[in-house]
Amino acid sequence: MLILARKTGEAITIANNITIKVLDIKGGMVKLGIEAPTDVSVHREEIYQRILEQNRLAAMGGPIDMTALTSALQSTMGPLGPGSNSGQPETEPKKE
Amino acid sequence: METANQDSSLSACHTGTSARQQVPQTVTSKGNNTMKVQTSRFGVLEIDDAKIITMTQPFLGFPDSNRFILQPHGPESPCMWMQSLDEPGLAFVVIPPATIHYQYRPELPKYVKDELQADESSTLDTLVILTIPRDDPSAVTANLLGPVVINVNKRLAKQVLLDPLKYDCCWPIGSKAA
Repeated sequence: MLILARKTGEAITIANNITIKVLDIKGGMVKLGIEAPTDVSVHREEIYQRILEQNRLAAMGGPIDMTALTSALQSTMGPLGPGSNSGQPETEPKKE
Repeated sequence: METANQDSSLSACHTGTSARQQVPQTVTSKGNNTMKVQTSRFGVLEIDDAKIITMTQPFLGFPDSNRFILQPHGPESPCMWMQSLDEPGLAFVVIPPATIHYQYRPELPKYVKDELQADESSTLDTLVILTIPRDDPSAVTANLLGPVVINVNKRLAKQVLLDPLKYDCCWPIGSKAA
C-alpha cells in the first residue's frame, strides 16, 4: 500500500483525471473532496461491504419453498395474478 | 428436463406483473446458436446465445460469474431466477420492483448508462434481488440499494449502487411503499 502524508488543502492525483483533496481535518474525521470523471463510481467502502454481504445472503444455493414464498408475497401484496397490481412500469418508457 | 429457449427472455420480467403494458424490445436472435449449460437448479439448460445477459462487472462477492440467464418462476409468480451460467449453484431471485414498491424509480448515474452502453433508444430494465430466509420465507426482503439494471437491447447488466440514505438493502416487502 502506498502511504502518503497530506495536510489540509493538499491533494493527491490518480491517473491524470482523479483528484482527492483533503478539505478539513477535525476530531478524527477527514473531509475529502473527490474530483473524478462521471464514468468513475465513487462510494464509501461500507456500501460495497453491505451490498456484498446482502448478495451472499440472497444467493440461493439450495432449493427454496416456492409455495411459502409466493404466499408470503401474496399475504403482503394481495393476489399476484396478471393485472392485479396498479403500479407503474419500472422502467423508463422509452419508445422507438 | 427443462429448456430455456422459449420463454427466458427479458419479456419474462413482465409476465403476470403490472408492467405487462410495457412490451420490452426483443433482441433479434442472430442465427440459432445455442449452448448447453449445467445448472444445479434446472439441470442442463439449452440456452439461446441471444438470451444470455453479460455483467459489465460481476456481482460483488461473486467475481467468477459474468453470464446469467433469466428464468421465470412460473405463471403465478412475478419472480424470476437470475441463474449464473458460470457457477452452476448460483442463482438470485429477482423481481420487477413495480410489483412490490410502486414508487421505486431510482435515477441512474451517468456512468451506469455509459457502462451499459445505453443511449436514447435503449431500454433499461430494473430488477431487485430478494433475500429469502430459508427458515422463514415470509421474512423476505428486497435489496433496493443495489438493483440490477439491464440494457435489454445489448443484454448487458450491472448491479448499481445507489444512495444509502435513500434506499435500503433489506427492505421488508410488507412495508408500506409510502
